[in-house]
Amino acid sequence: MKAQNVASTKNVAIDEIPEGRKKIGIFLLEILAIALVLLFLFPFFLVLINSAKQSADIIISPLNMPEKWGQLFTNMNNVIHNQNFNYWKSFFSSLFITAVSLVLISLFSSMAAWILVRNKTKWSNFIFMTLVAAMIIPFQVVMLPLLSTFRELSDFIGIRMLTSYKGLIFAYIGFGGSMSVFIFHGFIKSIPYELEEAALIDGCTPEGTFFRILFPLLKPIQVTVLILNGVWIWNDFLLPSLMLGLNGKIKTLPIAVTSFVGSYVKQWDLILTAALLAMLPIIVLFIFAQKQIIRGMVEGAIK
Amino acid sequence: MDVKVKKVLSLAAIILGIAGVILALIMDFSGSENPLRGAILVIGGLMVLAGFYFLPSKNHKKIINVLFLFPLLLAFTVTVIIPFIFGVFYSLTDWNGIKFENFVGLQNYITMFTSNDYMYSVVITFIFSAINIVLVNVIAFSLALLCTSKIKGKNYYRAAFFVPNLIGGIVLGYVWQFIFNKVLTVLIPGSVSMLTDPNLALLAIIIVSSWQYSGYIMMIYVTGLQGVPKDVLEASAVDGADRLTTLFRIKMPLIANTFTICIFLTLINSFKQFDLNFAITNGAPSRILNGVSILSTELLALNIYKTAISKNQYALGQTKAVVFFIVLAIISLTQVAISKKREVEM
Amino acid sequence: MKLKKFVSALLITAMTGALLVGCGSNNSTNTNTGTDSGTTTENKTTENTSKGNVSIRLLNGKIEIDAPLKAYAEAYKQKTGVEVVIESLGGGADIAATLKGYLAAGNMPDMFVIGGEGDYNVWKDYMEDLSNESWVSDTDVAYVSPEGKVVGFPYAVEGYGLTYNKDLLDKAGIDPATLTNINAYKAAFEKLDSMKDELGITAVVSMAAEAGQMWWSVANHNFGSYLATGVENGDSKYIDMLKKGEIDRDRMTQYAKFLKLLFDYSDKNTLISGTYDDQLALWAQGKTVFIHQGNWIDPSLPSYNVTFGMGIAPSAFMEQDTDGILADAPSWWAVYNGGKNIQACKDFLTSLATTEEGAKCLVQDCGMISSFKSTTVQPTAPLATDLMKWVQAGKTYPWHWAKMPDGFAMNNLGPVFESFAKGDVDIEGFVDLMANAIATLKQ
Repeated sequence: MKAQNVASTKNVAIDEIPEGRKKIGIFLLEILAIALVLLFLFPFFLVLINSAKQSADIIISPLNMPEKWGQLFTNMNNVIHNQNFNYWKSFFSSLFITAVSLVLISLFSSMAAWILVRNKTKWSNFIFMTLVAAMIIPFQVVMLPLLSTFRELSDFIGIRMLTSYKGLIFAYIGFGGSMSVFIFHGFIKSIPYELEEAALIDGCTPEGTFFRILFPLLKPIQVTVLILNGVWIWNDFLLPSLMLGLNGKIKTLPIAVTSFVGSYVKQWDLILTAALLAMLPIIVLFIFAQKQIIRGMVEGAIK
Repeated sequence: MDVKVKKVLSLAAIILGIAGVILALIMDFSGSENPLRGAILVIGGLMVLAGFYFLPSKNHKKIINVLFLFPLLLAFTVTVIIPFIFGVFYSLTDWNGIKFENFVGLQNYITMFTSNDYMYSVVITFIFSAINIVLVNVIAFSLALLCTSKIKGKNYYRAAFFVPNLIGGIVLGYVWQFIFNKVLTVLIPGSVSMLTDPNLALLAIIIVSSWQYSGYIMMIYVTGLQGVPKDVLEASAVDGADRLTTLFRIKMPLIANTFTICIFLTLINSFKQFDLNFAITNGAPSRILNGVSILSTELLALNIYKTAISKNQYALGQTKAVVFFIVLAIISLTQVAISKKREVEM
Repeated sequence: MKLKKFVSALLITAMTGALLVGCGSNNSTNTNTGTDSGTTTENKTTENTSKGNVSIRLLNGKIEIDAPLKAYAEAYKQKTGVEVVIESLGGGADIAATLKGYLAAGNMPDMFVIGGEGDYNVWKDYMEDLSNESWVSDTDVAYVSPEGKVVGFPYAVEGYGLTYNKDLLDKAGIDPATLTNINAYKAAFEKLDSMKDELGITAVVSMAAEAGQMWWSVANHNFGSYLATGVENGDSKYIDMLKKGEIDRDRMTQYAKFLKLLFDYSDKNTLISGTYDDQLALWAQGKTVFIHQGNWIDPSLPSYNVTFGMGIAPSAFMEQDTDGILADAPSWWAVYNGGKNIQACKDFLTSLATTEEGAKCLVQDCGMISSFKSTTVQPTAPLATDLMKWVQAGKTYPWHWAKMPDGFAMNNLGPVFESFAKGDVDIEGFVDLMANAIATLKQ
């Protein structure tokens, strides 16, 4: 290796650095790391302290600590009961949409991926390639015709697809499907077929083989799929804003925040409290499941 | 259960289901507004599926193949494939979001490429993406090095850097709008908000975007760096390589693939940036270009949205989206080509 | 067998789950509010079957009157059993986009706000003909289509100009009645500026011209004086020129001079980065003498404990006197012709126009001026009272700016005003930019 030849001409190796200097170096790195963490989290700190102030205090001294933290609960109360924000309703709408979409995405995608892996035909290849190719389609190019398609579909079949939970969830299955199938596909390929074969020989039906033998094996990759799609759906703004409207009956949290900002021209005390309330659920979740969340999101990207 | 009975029941379910579907469709065509038609359609469809599922048949495996693919492909076709095809088609018409009357050929494309505001959006989107890619990757890689060094509590730091990425761009955008407009102007007395200057406002979006995204990219670099084999590092240490040499000559070449992934992820993410743009500036402030005053921070995704939704020019917005797609497709294909090439080399 | 059943049960639950849950929520939406309009037929019929529970929804474009309207809706429900859901969007929110989204999403409100000709052209196919309503003969400012049909309910008359703090003007010895031409303003501004410490003000004018959120205040309202100030009754010369892509250069230059005067004496931060709240807070706390807003700020004043006297002065940009403010029906409420309860909507509007309670709601609670001649209820809010004087004296100019095309003020003119406010261009540069922006309307 060329690299090593060049390197060997230099004399300062890691091990030769005196122990004391190394320690100081690490200490300095730790200080740097803490400083960077504080810098990264500073915006959240600002949100927190200003959520506990009255409007006028925020404008005059956004950096001061709040006079009394009790104001935080007053603001929260105002925001929660505000008609345009309606925190609990939006929270449960977001939760419902995310949860149902996730269950269906992971179920349907793993089913489809399994069929596509285990049947090597022209068709399965074509379907898989189409799904993969669709991953590069940006949302913008389908969003406008999506609305008209859904509207016409609603008229045609008599099931409301727009401004309804089911339509939005259906759309999430469609949009989340290709990436999820792709991830499952790669994973299922690595599972030896012998396992299924043995079950089939024992008289198990194909669907039985899938749900009994294969599905449990998918657990690690399910986590990835769930987290990847979950973070996306929970935070998504454009799709629900188009399908549900910015001031419709059903609001997800990001939409609630936006409609709140729009209607309350610019009351920063309430906007920041609203932002705080919108962030809270996911931060709490992250504290409890950070390892899985980080791993899931990173794995999804690399695959 | 007797196989024969089962067969009859299954077939009955299929027939009933088909009848239901047909009935529902007839109602649709005849313009009936019976509220039950949607339910009949769905139940009919489900009965057909269930019937096929329970039908004792030599082709059971084939039936399962179709049944397992059906739900996902249905959703995928209706939400992605059909709108995509319509989208390309609409870009050639005078579509107004509800209906179209005329086929206008390439007129929309000509209008688009000759309009100042669109070309400006293209330019700033490229500038934005270029700066953002460099910034995100430099920050992320530095953080990754920091978080794979010998410091204590690495996992906590990683988690902290990762947090901004979990929160949606809309919420973060409003928070940062507050920071730029109200906090920084107090922090630096007498200063004017960054969001009032065209260049600084774009920089503001870049700052937030880097802040939000680099923790995520960092984690990918961390994974890459952790994948560098220990023995290679030890060998280089034995050979007397100093830390910088190890970094530039050993670690970085070994994780070249990670760099490709990260750069393209950032590129595509920058290109699609909408949420932050929408919440922080919504296009403001203004800038004068060729004697026309335009909104200066309207990235492509926002430009498409505004063209269609607020200016009510759906066909033009759709046309812009189609071009947006072509650019992204080229970027993605380039990535695939580069990755393939590297795999071959290795 | 067992497994088979389990699997099928799982499958079917999963697939129907999504659908049924959706259907369920659908129904509850209908019975609760009935907000959803007729793009989906399924919905229509459910609504028809539940007649006893009529509910209509109004998309109101004025957040300021949200609370009084809701109170009226509540009382109206007590009286008639018809539920009226009021949905309000604020000044900066893009109402047109929201409405288009609603239409696209099959969620059209039964009544919605239209802001003028631009909106009319977008929505003309969706508006119910209101010509036969009893209130039509009682007003001059209903929205009448080119074919002569009444399609918009004028829920108020509004006016704006340079709203002043009377106490501060008195202290400086300036009579607001003299503010009828650019020179009078210039002199007044100079005098006030020299008395800054004495008056306790930080700037003379409170204006906001940021293009992202405040475009409407300058590119619609202020620009409205170029289009209409000084014109004879109903003369639409300047708006007609604009629609052809032309400007009157001399008039525009004169207008620019006045605008520059306003900008020069404005609080700089608020001017280029402020929001409506910032602008209002400044003036309401007595830190500026003028604010470029209209009578719609009345309801916001109590939260600032405002005690000073106030009034509206004309946006008089010319050398010669133009003694009139810009007042018109700001927007109208149209009835969606695809709605299920059209008659209920008409009844609701009629009650607002003709009953004592309706007038009280619009005039006293909302702080607006009634557009109905027979209304005797007098406004109590300070600016509404002042506006009423202008209206009764006939000293008003129409809101021609409302006839500009869809999205034009926001996307094309807004940036020009911001550029001018930031000092990127001088008067001539501003006129050129305006000319270029308006030239894009040439077909």
